[in-house]
Amino acid sequence: MENLYIETTKYTPEIKLDLNGSISIIGKSYPENTFDFYEPIMKWLEDYLNLKNSETLTIDLEIIYFNSSSSKLFFDFFDLLEESNWNNEIKINWIFDIENESAQEVGEDFIEDFPNLDIQLIVK
Amino acid sequence: MNDTKKDTTKVGNTSINNKLILELETLKDNFSITADKLIKDVRRQDKIMLRSDKRQMHEYDELQKKLLEIKELQIEIEETQIEVIYTMGAICEGRSKETGNHVKRVAAYSKVFAIYYGLDKKEADMLKQASPMHDIGKVAIPDSILNKPGVFNEEERKIMDQHALFGYDMLKSSSRPLLKAAATVAYEHHEKWNGKGYPKGLKGEEIHIYGRITAIADVFDALGSDRCYKMAWPDEKIFKLFKEERGEHFDPKLVDIFFDNLDEFLEIRESLQDLF
Repeated sequence: MENLYIETTKYTPEIKLDLNGSISIIGKSYPENTFDFYEPIMKWLEDYLNLKNSETLTIDLEIIYFNSSSSKLFFDFFDLLEESNWNNEIKINWIFDIENESAQEVGEDFIEDFPNLDIQLIVK
Repeated sequence: MNDTKKDTTKVGNTSINNKLILELETLKDNFSITADKLIKDVRRQDKIMLRSDKRQMHEYDELQKKLLEIKELQIEIEETQIEVIYTMGAICEGRSKETGNHVKRVAAYSKVFAIYYGLDKKEADMLKQASPMHDIGKVAIPDSILNKPGVFNEEERKIMDQHALFGYDMLKSSSRPLLKAAATVAYEHHEKWNGKGYPKGLKGEEIHIYGRITAIADVFDALGSDRCYKMAWPDEKIFKLFKEERGEHFDPKLVDIFFDNLDEFLEIRESLQDLF
């Protein structure tokens, strides 16, 4: 298993998946086919969560703009985290600009839907 | 014996029943988990849709707002552009003791000529904006010549005639369609249909339509206005000259347009009179 890096494009965010326990997804997310785009990311996460690592997993998500499919995908992403057998700490930072009301609201939805996950809303 | 058999069957039935119950209970649990998950998914989907609708509404509102701002800015830019053009034109006219209304009238006449000549409205509007700059090159002519009362000597005439080229040189390097049109107007508004004009001595349709139109619009207005060195000509005298110059100084088609739509031209002159 290797680190995964995907460069930002006009429609997709910059994605860094690092085996040392850090994940970051930063930018806009409105690909033409969201589920195809995120498939390798979800696969990576699934595989990673099955590793018996001992480090804390830190996830920084800073999504400036997203379509509905991306929103659904983030729920699936959190499902994976919540349902995993990962024994160590998982820290999730949902980062947004104070003026980005949509990003804030969806962050609040995540907290409501995933009471078992440590999701922090961080205002930039 | 019978009782024992019955009991065994009973025990057997109970054991079968228990297995069935166990399976049913497992199924019930699984169904419950799946149902819960489905309910959660549907709720989540509803939430996503709700958020998405709200976001879309907000985005559309924002877009409309921005679009309106752009439209307003566009109007602002266009109006500023027109004002700057008139001002530039008026600077030259001012230096040569003409009035700001001269350029406005020439602009309005040019548009009418352009429309009847068959140019589309967009191009006619552009010519309307470009034609006020026809004499922009006069800024490079010394006051002593520009404002000389009476007739120019040959040397002075040569210098004065250079204003067409000067104007062209000032505007030619622009890539803006409007300024390109203005460069053409400045360069060719003293050309004559018969080839006896300046600076290039172009003939007939070699002269760009913008040049031909501005020429007739400019002369019509100049002859009909009082200047420091002359009184306005009476209309009849202007009309006589136009008839004589049909196919000489002016494009015959434009002279025909002028007479066919005389009322329209006179109306413009009336509405944009010089105030003293």
